[in-house]
Amino acid sequence: MVTPIHLVSVALGTAFLLGFTKDRNWKISGGLVLLALLLMNLISGSWTYALFFGDQVPVQVFTAGFKPPFSINLQMGRFEAAITLMINFAGLLGAIYLFDRLKKAGRYAFMVYMVFILGLNVAVMTRDLFNLFVFMEITTIATAGLIFLVQTGKAAAAGLKYMIATSIISGVLLIGIIFAYSLVSTLNLDGIIDGGLPLIKGGAMVVFLILIALLLESKPFPANGWGLDVYESAHPGIGAMLSVATGPMIAYVIFKVLPISGGAWNHLIAITGIITFVGSNFLAIKQHNTQRLLGYSSVAQAGILLIAIGLQKELGHTFIYVAAGLLMTNYFAKAGLFWLSGLIKGESLQDWTQLKGRPVLLFLFGLFVFSLAGFPPSPAFFAKWELIMQLASHGGYVWMVFILIGSFFELIYLTRWFGQVIGSKEKSSAQPDLATHRLVPVGIMGVGLLGTMVFFLHHYAPDLAIDFIPIIFIAALFILDFLPAFLKNTVTILAMGWYLLQHISDVQNDTVRLIFFLIFLAGGAISLLAGFSYKGKRIGYYPFVAMTFVGLTGLVTATTTLGFFLSWELMALGSYLLISRGKNAQKTSWIYILFSVGGAYLLLMGFGVSFAVTGDGLLSSLGIAARALPAVGILLTIGFLSKIAAMGLHIWLPGAYAEAEDDATPFIAGIMMNAGIFGLILSLSIIAGHPFTWWLGWLGVITAVGGNILAAFQEDAKKLIAYSSIGIMGYILFALSMNIQMAWMAALYYVVLHFLYKTILFLAVGGVIFRTKTREMYQMGGLIKKMPLSFISVLIGIIALAGIPPLAGFGGKWLFYNAVVMNGWYLQGALVFFSGVVAFLYCFKLISAIFLGQAKDRYRHIKEAPVWYILPQYLLIIGLLIFSVLPELVLQPVAHALRSMPGEGIQWDGHFAQTSFGYWNAFIVMTVIAIMFVILLAWLILNSRKAQKVKQFDMVFAGETPFTPETSHVAYNIYAPFNKALGFLVVPVTTWFWHATASVTDASANHLRKWYNGNGQTYALQMVIYIVMFYLIIRGGF
Amino acid sequence: MNFFSVQGISLTIGFILILIGLWGILTQRNLIRIIIGFTIFNNGVNLIIVALAYMKGRTAPIIDQVVTRTDAVDKVADPIPQALVLTAIVIGVGVTAVMLSYTLRMYRAKHSLEINVFTESKW
Repeated sequence: MVTPIHLVSVALGTAFLLGFTKDRNWKISGGLVLLALLLMNLISGSWTYALFFGDQVPVQVFTAGFKPPFSINLQMGRFEAAITLMINFAGLLGAIYLFDRLKKAGRYAFMVYMVFILGLNVAVMTRDLFNLFVFMEITTIATAGLIFLVQTGKAAAAGLKYMIATSIISGVLLIGIIFAYSLVSTLNLDGIIDGGLPLIKGGAMVVFLILIALLLESKPFPANGWGLDVYESAHPGIGAMLSVATGPMIAYVIFKVLPISGGAWNHLIAITGIITFVGSNFLAIKQHNTQRLLGYSSVAQAGILLIAIGLQKELGHTFIYVAAGLLMTNYFAKAGLFWLSGLIKGESLQDWTQLKGRPVLLFLFGLFVFSLAGFPPSPAFFAKWELIMQLASHGGYVWMVFILIGSFFELIYLTRWFGQVIGSKEKSSAQPDLATHRLVPVGIMGVGLLGTMVFFLHHYAPDLAIDFIPIIFIAALFILDFLPAFLKNTVTILAMGWYLLQHISDVQNDTVRLIFFLIFLAGGAISLLAGFSYKGKRIGYYPFVAMTFVGLTGLVTATTTLGFFLSWELMALGSYLLISRGKNAQKTSWIYILFSVGGAYLLLMGFGVSFAVTGDGLLSSLGIAARALPAVGILLTIGFLSKIAAMGLHIWLPGAYAEAEDDATPFIAGIMMNAGIFGLILSLSIIAGHPFTWWLGWLGVITAVGGNILAAFQEDAKKLIAYSSIGIMGYILFALSMNIQMAWMAALYYVVLHFLYKTILFLAVGGVIFRTKTREMYQMGGLIKKMPLSFISVLIGIIALAGIPPLAGFGGKWLFYNAVVMNGWYLQGALVFFSGVVAFLYCFKLISAIFLGQAKDRYRHIKEAPVWYILPQYLLIIGLLIFSVLPELVLQPVAHALRSMPGEGIQWDGHFAQTSFGYWNAFIVMTVIAIMFVILLAWLILNSRKAQKVKQFDMVFAGETPFTPETSHVAYNIYAPFNKALGFLVVPVTTWFWHATASVTDASANHLRKWYNGNGQTYALQMVIYIVMFYLIIRGGF
Repeated sequence: MNFFSVQGISLTIGFILILIGLWGILTQRNLIRIIIGFTIFNNGVNLIIVALAYMKGRTAPIIDQVVTRTDAVDKVADPIPQALVLTAIVIGVGVTAVMLSYTLRMYRAKHSLEINVFTESKW
């Protein structure tokens, strides 16, 4: 092994050598620098490899041949190796990225760059406190020199602010170090740790001075204005280095110096970290300048790393994974984003629309952003998971809540940024600067991040207990995204079919799982058929479709909480990305992801509490945990409620369904929504009978009534069906709140039913919209003759929805009646049935407005919906008819699965179903109605032989031209009188509430960030106040 | 430690210099004055380092005819802080130089030395 001292000698030697070169020989100086950095990478890399994968033991290098305390010693252990590798790797890529800038500035710039990297390396390795001070100062001065690369007054001012702040820090640090020396007579870190400073008189003060200085160096909120200004003003290449090289260095220095406090400072560091994490992410919400936003985010990431460092004892052996996950996500993603920002012309987030139409860059951008936001399988996802689990098991619920709040703020600005880039209608006219030497480092960081993901997936494989083939399939679709859409659609459908056949045996014995498994895979494959109507490549569609379905399948097959949570997040991310493809989906998709992840965080907390109780991460242990602490079930339930859009949490749904592409809505609405139900079954089965479920029952009632009434007032066909989904979710929630077998049977019956007719309706309406290019129903009308097949689909769909015999909806009502009477929830039941009446209103509106009445002139030559829209509808209709005639095919296995629940079941005798309240025979009903239908149809045909056909357009508007198209359509605002009567029920209170919450958040973030007034002197004062306040707080007063 | 000993007085002066420097940094508006504040601050820190190394009746840690290798341990003051202070002084000079060069650049940009003029990046 090459001794680590050569990290110093190579860097220092190169810096000296550069003095002999000439500015015009930039090839020599630049080449030397790259060579030196490459060598340093080899040294750190070989040590990292040997220490982690070989049998190499950590070594100490003593300078000048003496042992400490008479000499300076450098240490090369696992941490040092890994962190110097991170620094040197970023250093090499950063040098390539900055090459033309450094070249322009001359050989001194190369020199300063080498000294910067040198300072970082030694600060990490040294075990001598004064040496640490020296090399941190060297790093600081070199950083100040590198800030000079941007020749603006703004950058100069930021540089001076930086110098002011770091000089105060170094003064405090130096005083601390020298007093430490006078107390324990050594500068060697291990000597000082052994010296037991906290026990010596005055020692606590020394510890305070040293650690507060190092803490300030990590830019803790709110004494960090200087750091943010540098991030904003420096060259993005330098911003990247500050975030991914200096940041890890400081974090590691705090980690290695922390033991001098004898453990007394651990929680203080963690508290500082959480304040920084929450505060910085909060203020970042109002940022529009890219680099400043990335600065806030970098500071926040340093904060969460401090939490891990401060809580290392609580984290135990998982500390290394938490720290590595957080560190590496920020490393790859932040460097990538900073470097990308250097390619973009302009400083504002809006300027990133320049990436539009560049799939590879957009992919990298998304990869970085969603990794930072902690979506799976990013290392940060696993780190946060582990952090939450360990905190929960140590009773650190407050920590948990604040970490999730901070993460949520982070999500707000990251997803808004992403949404703005892909959803904004305006595209910046400037072209990004796509120089190869700038693109390559970004790409390498992307590859690095993907590699780390694989590593973490591999490491957590036992805890995940999921099948990795689907995840590989997603990756393959990303790579093969250049292929034509029909090919990718075929492959996706075949893959789903194959997976269904392969794995159906896994869930065969669990009827509930089996139902969802079939809905997700078989239903999903059928609904995807509509995708064949689209030509071209549809880049960025199928990978997300796959992500959604892999997530859904994972939910059903998961056996561990981690596997479930990963699948849940995959599904949320995939569906979010699909929705955000819609033309006007920027805002709605953003609201969707916020509600999705907000709900997911509650799931995370629920799983955390469960882990705290049982100590294992098995889904099957949730029940045991909930018996000890019902909070488990309640947290999970509330989390799932956001997915089924219960009233109050529903505002994301109509927009998201309406704005998604027309062939995506069917499976988002008809299929994916069942994930929420699946979750509720999971969570409610463990707290069945808890008083909480009574409230939940009422929430179901309100959701059913509210959703249905709102649906009746919609003019947008997709929104109408979307609100109707909310209504049905209300029914199901209501049923699941009752702890009786009949009610759960009704709920599962509705799951199947709703999947069938909702997918049919969205496909049918999607097909109509495909032709008419509008979603407004009053612009349609009279399409029955042009689109008879779509008409029949919608007719069948609404008959099923409205619960009219002979279709399956009637059976659902029958089960419902039984359940309500058995459970004695008469008032609630009455209200739910009232909402069923309201459903007739919107069903009628849907079919009459689209298909009946006068056809519009512009649709005179319109054709039936594409065959690929029609085919899946009729496949599902066949399914619906079978389900309607033979409901026992589903109900009997369900009853068997629910047999342990209280309450009476159904007695079956052939097709004959009986309870103590009555009987029902779906087969007979269907047969009788079918016979009647045939007779009536025959009679109609016979009688109408002589009827005269009246063509459409055989009429005039009584000589008047209507002012607006909607007033000429009978369906427009058809329920205005009802609106007068019931309008008070649909006042958008919920929307107001969430808007108010958003505005308050926004305004307070805007107000609070004024704290950073840009004045270097104020920043210095803030730091002094921070030091004094910190001292007063830890000493408990004056 | 006697407050009126050489060491005590030096330490006191050192702390007073630090406070004066800090006062200058936090109250002066002129960039040059702020930088002077930093040099005073640094001098205070350096004085403290030297003062801590002071041992009554001992001489500078230089081995020559007066202090031989064998009796150095008993005759000289603690050499380590002496070495440290040299490093600290050098670093202080470097920091001051960088600050001054920033000031120059800032003056060229806005023709002002008032620190509250330079608040372009904020919030």
